[in-house]
Amino acid sequence: MTPDTATQWLDSHEIAWVKTEGISIDGLVIGKHLSTRKFVSALPLGNAITEFVIGYDIGGTPFLVWWDEWRREALGDFHQRPDLSTLVVAPDRPHTANVICDIVDLDGNPIPACARSKLREVTDRLATHGLTAKASFEIEVILYEESYKQARASQWRDLTPMAHPAPLGYLHFNSRQQLRFVDEVLRRLDGLGVPIEAWHDEAAPGQFELNIDPSDPVTACDRVVRIKQVLREVALDQGCSVTFMAKPSPEFGNGLHVHHSLARDGNPVFYAPDGEGMSELTRHWIGGLVATMPAAMSIFCPNVNSFRRVVGFAAAPTVASWGEDDKSAAVRVLSRSPKAARIENRVAGGDANPYLVLAAVLAGGIAGIEQSIEPPAAQNVAGWGLPAGFPHLPNTISKAADAMASDVVLHSVLGAGFCEYWVNTRRWEWLMFHTTGGDPLATSVTQWELDRLFEIV
Amino acid sequence: MGRAADFKNESSANLTSARMNETARIEVEPDPVPIVLILAATLRRAARTPKLAHAIGRTKGNVALKSTVDPQAATMRFGDGGVMVVRGVSEDTDVLITADINTMSDEHPPSPKVAGVGRHPKLAFTVSKLLDPPHGTWQQEAQRFFEFAIRKPGVPQSMRVVCTDDGSELTIGNPPAAYELHGSRHALLNVFCGNTVLGQDLLDGKLFAVGKLAHLAELTGRSLSWMLGQE
Repeated sequence: MTPDTATQWLDSHEIAWVKTEGISIDGLVIGKHLSTRKFVSALPLGNAITEFVIGYDIGGTPFLVWWDEWRREALGDFHQRPDLSTLVVAPDRPHTANVICDIVDLDGNPIPACARSKLREVTDRLATHGLTAKASFEIEVILYEESYKQARASQWRDLTPMAHPAPLGYLHFNSRQQLRFVDEVLRRLDGLGVPIEAWHDEAAPGQFELNIDPSDPVTACDRVVRIKQVLREVALDQGCSVTFMAKPSPEFGNGLHVHHSLARDGNPVFYAPDGEGMSELTRHWIGGLVATMPAAMSIFCPNVNSFRRVVGFAAAPTVASWGEDDKSAAVRVLSRSPKAARIENRVAGGDANPYLVLAAVLAGGIAGIEQSIEPPAAQNVAGWGLPAGFPHLPNTISKAADAMASDVVLHSVLGAGFCEYWVNTRRWEWLMFHTTGGDPLATSVTQWELDRLFEIV
Repeated sequence: MGRAADFKNESSANLTSARMNETARIEVEPDPVPIVLILAATLRRAARTPKLAHAIGRTKGNVALKSTVDPQAATMRFGDGGVMVVRGVSEDTDVLITADINTMSDEHPPSPKVAGVGRHPKLAFTVSKLLDPPHGTWQQEAQRFFEFAIRKPGVPQSMRVVCTDDGSELTIGNPPAAYELHGSRHALLNVFCGNTVLGQDLLDGKLFAVGKLAHLAELTGRSLSWMLGQE
């Protein structure tokens, strides 16, 4: 869609307002509500937005302990450049359209803190190898009976999951209780053009999972962003609440598993029928994924709370490993079917920024093929409860930040500037936890984490 | 591109390695929390004074500092010729200091509560000296901080500091100064000794500055690193 055709499209759909949707470094959706007149007049660069939106943390405190050269010296503006291919009629508000945006500087160049642009940069690099990727996500969410107002009043504790209290999973009795909510979610997602492949009751009480059709990486992440928004908005409208926190309660957590496949000339790269072994490309790709896993943990688990989910026997992998159809491995390879040959990363939490998660995954694979990284032997034991000597993943936000700071492999694709920026933001998050009320000795989710993350990640 | 903030830039391995003085070994736990790093940095500053370094080496016993305003707490475990600083209040703590850690650096801070001083008076007295290490003039401390700060790109290469108590001033680096700081002798000493963080002091109205936001951010990062002992 061009600016001209966008104008025609807005007219023909009787749109009066456009909601611009940019993505913060923490994965929050930020933007403005623009009159169509303002929206059209701002094309193609898009509306101005204060650079401050990328200059504060998820709790609203400015990052004032370092400065990036790409930042505006006197806190001027950046722009939200609309990706007109994402312009869609809002299914929940009359005469309104939604559009997803990149964050760009005054010259239209993506800023390093624009996660969506970073992912596009990585897929462009992949294309230089003659490869294309497809991706899809498993989105886990926990649904509670209480409204956000009620949940706030109870400080996010002792909430009532909208389900039978036992952690069973796949129970249609639970799905039935959530139908009114889910049906409205599915209706709105259909309106937004987000194709849902399946949904089902998940293990935590009140938890369900949505699976989206595979697509190109940026589209897959756009869909995650829109799904999470719709889930929150329907919860607001129906007087209940949802959370994507990695570990909102001592017992249960939300993951954001991501699947990806590669193709070259239309042929599935990861396909390796029994007895034929995997290709050198696949081997190196897996080698890169495993080698970069410790550094990428900082992106997969961006918050202090994220690491509460990465413990043994809690479904999330805890060692840098891979295995054929092994759900206890960090990298689960599914190579036996030409139609479904893919790799699943099972580490990321529900609080992670999907664009950065997928960028880190693809960057790890690209580094693997560019540096011919051989993978370790496949994990042939259960990946949980392993003693010292196994390649345990960083288990705190500070260790993960240190791993990324000292990494060179992931840096080679994601870029040193981005990695430095990211590490700075995570070290800041560490500092905020410890100096503004977080309890480092708490063995379970703290009030600080609930206050900071429950509603917005 | 961006410049790495180094307020948590040292690897845990380096942080846990022994830092040898003539007579003092000061270590921190693996993956330390801020209050652990701050206490260790304070002890290192104390260890610049031979008498206090000697005291660290000779002292035995466990002294904890616990915040009254948030969950921050750490224990200094003295023994074997040095000290190990760990998070939390250890069960075998001999002396427990309870204080509002946000006001400890004020000119007239409320007195902390100290438990265990009756049974361990010498330990309590020694640690009180260690946690309030000697310092130079604000000019000397400013010079020391600045030499550390300018090692990072992005930090202004010259700075003018004005003491509002008596109008005395100091320009560090080559004039004209790219950044100016104004404050009382107490506030200047606090920030240059690493007791407070520059940006927070500005927010609190304890210091005033003339300069670019980028310089403020970089200097604040260095100030924080200084406080955390990332020298």
